[in-house]
Amino acid sequence: MNSHQAPLRPVAWTIAAFIIAALPHLAAMPAWLAAGIVAACGWRLAAAWRHWSPPPAILRLALTGLAITLIVLAFGGLWGRRTATALLCVMLAAKMMEMFTLRDLRLVASVSFFLIATQFLFSERLLYLGYLAVGSLVATIALVRIQNVEAGETDSAAPGAEVQAIGSAATLLLMSVPVALTLFFLFPRLAQPLWGLPDQVMDGRSGLSDDMSPGSISNLFLDDSPAFRVEFDGPPPPVDQRYWRGPVLWDFDGTTWTRPFFSDTPSRQFVPEGDASLTYTVQLEPHERRWLFTLDYPVRGPEQALITVDHQLLSRHPVTALTRYELVSNPEFIDMPDLPEGARAAALRLPEGRNPRSLALAEELRARHPDHRDLIAAVLSWFRTEEYFYTLSASPLGRHGADEFLFDLRAGYCEYYASAFAILMRAAGIPTRVVTGYQGGLWQAGSDYLLVRQSDAHAWTEVWLEGSGWTRVDPTAAVSPDRIEQGARSVIDGPRHRLDLDWLQTLRNRYDRLQHMWNRWVLGFDHDRQRQFLQKLGLPDLSTERIAALMLLVLTLVTGLVSLFLLRRARPRSTGAVDRAWHAMLRRLQRRGLRKRLEETPLEFAARVEAALPAHGGAFRRLAATYCRIHYGDQAEHEADFIDQAKGFTPRRA
Amino acid sequence: MATADSARLGADQRAPRRWFDRWIARRGPMRPPLTLRYRQIFILPTRFGWLLGLLMFAMLMGSLNFNNNLGLLTTFIVAGLASNSMLIAYRNLDRLQIQRSGAAPVFAGQTAQLLISLANPGGRARAGLEIACAERRQTFALPPGGFAEVAVALTTHHRGWLQPPRCRVQTRQPIGLFQAWSWFWPERPVLVWPQPADHPPALPEGGADQDGRQDQRQPDGDEFFSLRGWREGDPLHRVAWKASQRHNTLLARDLRQPRSRQLLLDLEQAPGRDLEEKIRVLTAWVLTAHRQHRAWTLRLGPDTIGPGSDEAHLHNCLKALALFP
Repeated sequence: MNSHQAPLRPVAWTIAAFIIAALPHLAAMPAWLAAGIVAACGWRLAAAWRHWSPPPAILRLALTGLAITLIVLAFGGLWGRRTATALLCVMLAAKMMEMFTLRDLRLVASVSFFLIATQFLFSERLLYLGYLAVGSLVATIALVRIQNVEAGETDSAAPGAEVQAIGSAATLLLMSVPVALTLFFLFPRLAQPLWGLPDQVMDGRSGLSDDMSPGSISNLFLDDSPAFRVEFDGPPPPVDQRYWRGPVLWDFDGTTWTRPFFSDTPSRQFVPEGDASLTYTVQLEPHERRWLFTLDYPVRGPEQALITVDHQLLSRHPVTALTRYELVSNPEFIDMPDLPEGARAAALRLPEGRNPRSLALAEELRARHPDHRDLIAAVLSWFRTEEYFYTLSASPLGRHGADEFLFDLRAGYCEYYASAFAILMRAAGIPTRVVTGYQGGLWQAGSDYLLVRQSDAHAWTEVWLEGSGWTRVDPTAAVSPDRIEQGARSVIDGPRHRLDLDWLQTLRNRYDRLQHMWNRWVLGFDHDRQRQFLQKLGLPDLSTERIAALMLLVLTLVTGLVSLFLLRRARPRSTGAVDRAWHAMLRRLQRRGLRKRLEETPLEFAARVEAALPAHGGAFRRLAATYCRIHYGDQAEHEADFIDQAKGFTPRRA
Repeated sequence: MATADSARLGADQRAPRRWFDRWIARRGPMRPPLTLRYRQIFILPTRFGWLLGLLMFAMLMGSLNFNNNLGLLTTFIVAGLASNSMLIAYRNLDRLQIQRSGAAPVFAGQTAQLLISLANPGGRARAGLEIACAERRQTFALPPGGFAEVAVALTTHHRGWLQPPRCRVQTRQPIGLFQAWSWFWPERPVLVWPQPADHPPALPEGGADQDGRQDQRQPDGDEFFSLRGWREGDPLHRVAWKASQRHNTLLARDLRQPRSRQLLLDLEQAPGRDLEEKIRVLTAWVLTAHRQHRAWTLRLGPDTIGPGSDEAHLHNCLKALALFP
């Protein structure tokens, strides 16, 4: 059955399913590759229409090989998820070249579901629910149409067949929702991944990187996508306290700040809870890295994370899916009242032969301000009073980056200020480290959560001071208080790009509230939330086995209900178009006082009508005879005529 | 060869097969007329179904590992789709009626058309049904409350009763993930007549001369053949007086066919190296005699059939030839 060539319609639906499923993947891959895949689909469609035969195997093989080579080149030989999905798309497009049998079509249609699922590894935004719905519907329609062909339905080109296929696919899909939801809420979730996730996934997903080189191109500030959302148990902290701690950078090689070798060492300091402790929940968008963002200083984090010696919260695995964690932070904690010698050395180290002017300035300042605190205040006020600007369109820096910035350019964004400040401090003998993370966030008053965007990325410094330990100093705040108070957007003149409009921004903020709900109830549903959910339903803390048993139980119930609906007995309806016309005619006669008795055959009744209504009787007798022939004979061609004539039959009283 | 194999089903079945057949038979009636219910309907994934299952497993593992909830939702939607398609495959067979089956006799080597009548008592159309009998498949559909007569071709090889193999009525609706099927044994065996010999020798004219027995059994002279209008020259004793009186015209007995023209087709007298060849020759003779409107008597060992020349006689003879041990 599988050997005959697939007709146009199932091919068209299958290609539609594939294209819809591949749409986000196509958008993410190099344009020429996407164009090639679309071209393959177009060719296949034309082949189905024009009844072309498949290209020779050699050509197919060569094209596929070429495409794979090009993928390897385009992705630089790096094996990431994008590479894998691009490869899958190319393989399917190659399959397209040979899908001349129903089996090939089925394969492509069903792998469309797989393509849809893989897209969610990259983004699970609310928008993609529509993608899921449309993609699965079209794939199901394709499968139904393929089955129609296999079932030997010859009239599959009829317009009604299309509607029927869409209807039955929609029913199938809608009826699968109860089962899907049951499984979704009750399928036991893993507390930890089955296999290790790669530490570095080269997908180029935007997010905070683990190093900082002022002057390198940074796109984060233009990226309005959410980085994470925070719900507080009490009131949110004041704006100037919203510093979300990310990677802490100690090592500087003259251009780049990086994390030191000891940054994964667990903290030995116990952070107690204090009066000012904050309890909050962070919903972190996947960013492929291990760090989780916290307010200073995390008291305790989730089970799957550790707190490092410089108070970063590190997840054991890269965050590849929306992650939700609860935190307690104590902002009043004093970090390292005594600085160990090793840490002091690491926090003072500067590369040789870089930034001579800055070093000279630091020495001059040192001479003028013997006290650390005075020196810091002097530098900050210098930033404030001198002509320093905050701008996102800063020039790249050369070998003596801090010198160029401090004395020549005098314009830059937070990374410039943090780096230059840290260099000055170290040169002046004050232990300093750079902290990157996010600052601020938009308080969504209606839904009570704080939205932190990628554009809120920030860098600041921490200096070690006698008596107060590591102390946060944000040089950017000295230059541009607006940046801290109102966020990065406020300090930019004019729109960053064409669609950067205020009303659009408001709309985006509203949409983000929906997104937040979605994240909270659907995407953030994990092992812990599943247990919470079951506890809310009044079930005690269940083991995984028990949850599985519960799932099977509910699944049986739900499937039972679904099958009651699907298997309900449809009563035999004899009211085809012919019968409807016949019965309408009988009703019209009844209005004229002629009722067909149950035991009368149509012809007997016709005889009675002929006697009562001589003017119409003849016509009715002929119609009754046709009706009998349709029912008891095999003359289907009478049906349309009969219906027409029966509709035109209007008996009048003689 | 499946037909030949299954024709001998009763004889040389292997034990597991026999056990399986008995198990199937225990689950419900197997011969038409029957209404298919859940005890007779079996469902298994098709190859495509297994493939999708594999795909689902990959999606499940990936989504669980990355704790990717939308991926999981997609997986579970596919799972729901599969479970529904299983129900619909079942629904497509549930309460389907196989009313009767039968095939007109054919000569060995010809293709018998096994006609199977099915009815859909429900109010739901059943599309994509298929009857599979001995490697032959025939798709059909049933409108609500409708009937269908499906013809499945059966190849025949040997004369005798051909028990059609166990047939399946099956469906892969709605998306080809699952195959639901039911087994049934066609109600009646098919009679397969012997294959007529290709170049049979001429009819054994005057066979009576060879052993003289024919004269003994029918000693009197000319045989009555039919009545016809009296013609001048007809002898008086040929006039059929009583019939003439009834019809008000003079009728005469037509004795143009003398008794010696009646054929005796005897198995023992038929040429041929073995029994089968003889039977094939006899079959050809019987057919020729019938075509030539001649009366014949068939003698198979101790049994004698006829004389006769009509259709019924022909069929009796063919049946006897088909079933001759």
